[in-house]
Amino acid sequence: MEARFNSDERKRIREGISEKYKKVAISPEGKFSYPTGRAGLEGQKYNPDVLRELPKDVLASYCGVGNPFSLGPVNKGEAVLDIGCGAGVDTLVAAIKVGPEGKATGIDLIPDMLKQAKRNLKKTSLENVTFQEASAEQLPFPDGTFDVVISNGVFNLIPDKAKALREVIRVLKLSGRFLLADQILIGETPADTESMVKNWAG
Amino acid sequence: MNETGFVDVELVSETGFNSSPVTKGVLFRARKSAISDVGRFEMQSKDALLKYQEFFNAAYAEGTIDRKTKHLIALGASLAAGCDP
Repeated sequence: MEARFNSDERKRIREGISEKYKKVAISPEGKFSYPTGRAGLEGQKYNPDVLRELPKDVLASYCGVGNPFSLGPVNKGEAVLDIGCGAGVDTLVAAIKVGPEGKATGIDLIPDMLKQAKRNLKKTSLENVTFQEASAEQLPFPDGTFDVVISNGVFNLIPDKAKALREVIRVLKLSGRFLLADQILIGETPADTESMVKNWAG
Repeated sequence: MNETGFVDVELVSETGFNSSPVTKGVLFRARKSAISDVGRFEMQSKDALLKYQEFFNAAYAEGTIDRKTKHLIALGASLAAGCDP
């Protein structure tokens, strides 16, 4: 979808998302109809051996719409970027999969989610993980940095999706993989911009 | 996704979880091409390169003048023309 929002509308979208996910950062349980916590992870068939390596309260902070790791392997030694990492559970799963020779980077727009991600990281012994604040529309990485880009339930929230996809292409290495779990619109797009902004920020 | 340059774009499955009545959960997979823009340019000019190679091979083929002499003539001509080695 093309970006057709002015700066005020973009600001309102960002603030709306920020407010919603501040609450999610505290506890995702009951905030969404889709899977959260350990049950959500197990329901989506995340690798149980990998999940066993993460503390229970880290797993409890999971909130995602699907399992990006079900879409293909993430191998030892690879570099993975998680766009919209939230509390960072997918980033930590990626870090376990790539092992100490690989690295996992999580970015998010919402400072409260990143704080939660960093708290989660501290509860593990993983040393190959970085979390940083960044927009998917402007990734702060050089061209060809990552073998794999994952994202879970986030692209639907990005106002300029085409720009974000071009950024994914840019930071991927040649033959790099993009594994995406998300929600897509199956109904009509609201005709007026005001409804669209509310859709995002609501 | 195709428009932004991804290849092998694939809607793999639906997750079954829908956050609202007008959305559905999906799993997408895509890949960045194995060849860079430079590589793509090289592939496009591959035919021209092949034709040039054919001409080169024909010009240096053993004939009335042998291959070695042809190469020496070419070297002399390039030195006279001031070509970089």
